[in-house]
Amino acid sequence: MRVPADGTLSVSVTVNGVLRSAETTPRTLLSDFIREGLGLKGTNVGCEHGYCGACTVILDGQTVRSCLVLAPQAEGSQIVTVEHLAGGGGLSPLQEAFRQAHGLQCGFCTPGFLMSATELLDSTQGPLTRDDIRSAIAGNICRCTGYVHIVDAIRKASEMRQP
Amino acid sequence: MTAAQPRMVGARVARVEDPRFLRGEARYIANITLPGMRHARFVRSPFAHARIVGVDTSGVPAGVAVFTGEDWGAPSIECTSRYEGFQRAPMPVLATGKVRYAGEPVAVVVAGDPYLAEDAAEAVVVDYDPLPPVTTVDEALAVDAPLVHEDWTSNRYVPRAYASPDYDRETEGTLTVSGRFRNSRHSGVPLEGRAVLAEHTGGRVRVHTSTQIPHLVRTAVASAMDLAESSVQIVSPDVGGGFGVKAQAYPEEVACALAARALATPVKWLEDRREHFLASHHSREHRHDATLHYSEGGRIKALTAAVRVDMGAYSVFPWTSTMDTGMAMGILPGPYRFTGYKVDGYPTCTNKTPYGAYRGVARPAACFTIERLVDWMARERGLDRLEARRMNLVQAEDYPWTNPGGLVYDGGSLAESVEVMRDWIGYDSLTEELARDRREGRLRGLGVAIFTEQSAHTTEEFKKRGVPIVFGYETSMARLDPTGNLTIAASIHNHGQGLETTLGQLAGEVLGLSLDRINVVFGDTDQVSYGFGTFASRSAVLAGGAARLAAGALREKLARIAAHLLEASEEDLVFRDNRVEVVGAPGSAIALGELCRVTYQRPDLLPPGTEPTLEETRVYDAPPGTGTYTNALHAGIVEIDEATGAVDLQNYWVVEDCGVMINPLIVEGQIHGGVAQGVGSALFEEMIYDTDGQLLTTTFMDYLLPTAEDIPFIATRHLETPSPTTEGGIKGMGEGGAIAPAAVIAGGVEDALSGLGRVWVSQVPLTPERVLGHIAEARSRQ
Repeated sequence: MRVPADGTLSVSVTVNGVLRSAETTPRTLLSDFIREGLGLKGTNVGCEHGYCGACTVILDGQTVRSCLVLAPQAEGSQIVTVEHLAGGGGLSPLQEAFRQAHGLQCGFCTPGFLMSATELLDSTQGPLTRDDIRSAIAGNICRCTGYVHIVDAIRKASEMRQP
Repeated sequence: MTAAQPRMVGARVARVEDPRFLRGEARYIANITLPGMRHARFVRSPFAHARIVGVDTSGVPAGVAVFTGEDWGAPSIECTSRYEGFQRAPMPVLATGKVRYAGEPVAVVVAGDPYLAEDAAEAVVVDYDPLPPVTTVDEALAVDAPLVHEDWTSNRYVPRAYASPDYDRETEGTLTVSGRFRNSRHSGVPLEGRAVLAEHTGGRVRVHTSTQIPHLVRTAVASAMDLAESSVQIVSPDVGGGFGVKAQAYPEEVACALAARALATPVKWLEDRREHFLASHHSREHRHDATLHYSEGGRIKALTAAVRVDMGAYSVFPWTSTMDTGMAMGILPGPYRFTGYKVDGYPTCTNKTPYGAYRGVARPAACFTIERLVDWMARERGLDRLEARRMNLVQAEDYPWTNPGGLVYDGGSLAESVEVMRDWIGYDSLTEELARDRREGRLRGLGVAIFTEQSAHTTEEFKKRGVPIVFGYETSMARLDPTGNLTIAASIHNHGQGLETTLGQLAGEVLGLSLDRINVVFGDTDQVSYGFGTFASRSAVLAGGAARLAAGALREKLARIAAHLLEASEEDLVFRDNRVEVVGAPGSAIALGELCRVTYQRPDLLPPGTEPTLEETRVYDAPPGTGTYTNALHAGIVEIDEATGAVDLQNYWVVEDCGVMINPLIVEGQIHGGVAQGVGSALFEEMIYDTDGQLLTTTFMDYLLPTAEDIPFIATRHLETPSPTTEGGIKGMGEGGAIAPAAVIAGGVEDALSGLGRVWVSQVPLTPERVLGHIAEARSRQ
């Protein structure tokens, strides 16, 4: 990838199954690229130093904090964001489990938790224990819920999934 | 009405607001883009205390605008207490002449792109002449201390003192325990930082801001810009957490509005996390020097206390810089029945970030102090800690009980909560089990703490606090449209508390209307009636009470019309399932939608003299205005790692009474969240300053928040003593969870170390370093 003289460059990614390209700069964070370049505002930015997990997305099958990735590093990758979970409308089973268990309050951390939970559910089988879940989501900060209902929600989703 | 209205209050329903958050469609300010929008970045002081010698903006690239306070005539946000002797400390929008804390905004640059704005801010060169800072209350209150505000007589914002008339008599011949109790400086740290998007359009200023108090921010912005309030619109859409941090008016809100007006373009500012630590208001830093006076049998007789709160450099709008001190002075006696009380208050000015609200406001520190003293009294007298509490509590027959700080407790279930907790957790066998563990070398212990919390206080309370604006009521408008859908527009706000659902439950129950036909609106001063906002555990009680009253007025009118149309008596009507039915006549009913359509569009069919619209606004002030009191008893088990000093919180139980619950699922969520924040206070969260007044904790690697691994399952049991005074018997409950955990965990740590030796835990957070200190202290007394 060559950076043109004006400092901008084009980055192409497959986001939520769709190939997209947008102009950006070498120093643009992936979180900003997703939000401003691709216009997907569901991914929230909470700390910009890789700690809180609010900006978590799935990049080539693994969760990353999108504020710790530069946009050009994502060139050619597959990205999944919160907008993908429910598809066209309604709520996915995981989202519905969050709603039923009251696993969100202000909602700012929620997209990040949903992505971490998606990775957890995709990489395990059968019902999960509270401790499995607490450990898996310890990289996401929530200031509202005290985590109890988030753990309930993910547990419920793990019980409901197909074996 | 003879038929029972179906209940919606008390139902454990999932929230109506959830789908947009879960789908990534929330309306946070960061998500709003306006045509021509530019981006602000603030230049902040690197010094805690310095004279500004000059500002050189010559290095700022072309096309980037720069403003200093002088460009705008040095506007400020002022909040002056009505207390006599209060020393004024207006908060500059941009500092001129002098800076008084590290992080204070000095200039603002506005560029076309946020990254470029950040570059440009670095090109602004401010020449400072550093002055000696005062960074602790001791330094600030020393006789020859440098003055934060040079025209003051001392760094004490205002002296406060109070003594109950029988203090001398009650302290005579008593036994005492004393301590110096410290809570660290920390704050709510919402995951969404502050965010502002200001525009100047049609001769008006519109400020989108992530706030808990839209109308109060309007007052501050209008005042600082010298505008009529009708020329300012505040729009606060979805707010990503508040916890009190967003219950103040901030310089950045005014600065963005001024910049937008000057540049004739929308100006957006998104606070970054470092700025959040430096410049969003801090809280919690209390030091209490306190003595508990008691009889040989362990009866509490009196309390003596000096309350020192490090309020930082400026008085915050709308609270003033006396709020935490005043609240602590009022509530320090806690849930206990005694009358002797003497207290001095020192709201202190330092060269630190200004100090505002955080969930619980002073009550976590007050609970910590009184509960630690009661634990120590129990230990001195050989009493069980739960029993020492039970025998001293305000009893059911004492209500209304005026505590010696002047607060009037209206009711509750304190003693009952002790019995419920004792049975629920198997207190006696649990304490034996823990003693056994300790004999086997494990450092496990139990802590307990009980409190009563003032909520939904209005005129009478805020009048006493000397605040310039008395937060005496909230307002709700209820409007049914011609298809029978209800809109509630409330003057409070929603930032996670589920009020779109609970206000709907309250109003829907009155009208027999399902939640899918109710829309609740907040946050836009052009759309909602005047009111103050969401803070002090007031929204469900006050806006909920107003919503019930407004819905009740609509129902009265609809009942009159329905009775006329159905040729029935109003007393025989029941509102349920989106219909109005005549009791005992199943065929005789009218859909609410049809009833509304007729009301608006067929005035010819209405009973004579009926006004054909369905809109009612009600104001609710929860008389008598002194607040309605919740209570809760918390207990927790900790285990300490002797090698590292790490504290593992293993179990946590809450028995609480918030009166009539609107939605138990939401009540539990609020308790869990509050407890987790309290665990942060107890174990992790601490803003650390060096002696130059530099804040050293400005990332989440330095300032630790509790994670899912730090918070155990939090078990809850509810008692439901209706408030004797409020509409529907509801009490406020948003803050309560955060009040007791520091006291519980400190008691647990003391208990866990009791096998090693006696320690006095009087400071939180209990970081590994401090716990290792306590272990060494215990061993030294072996």
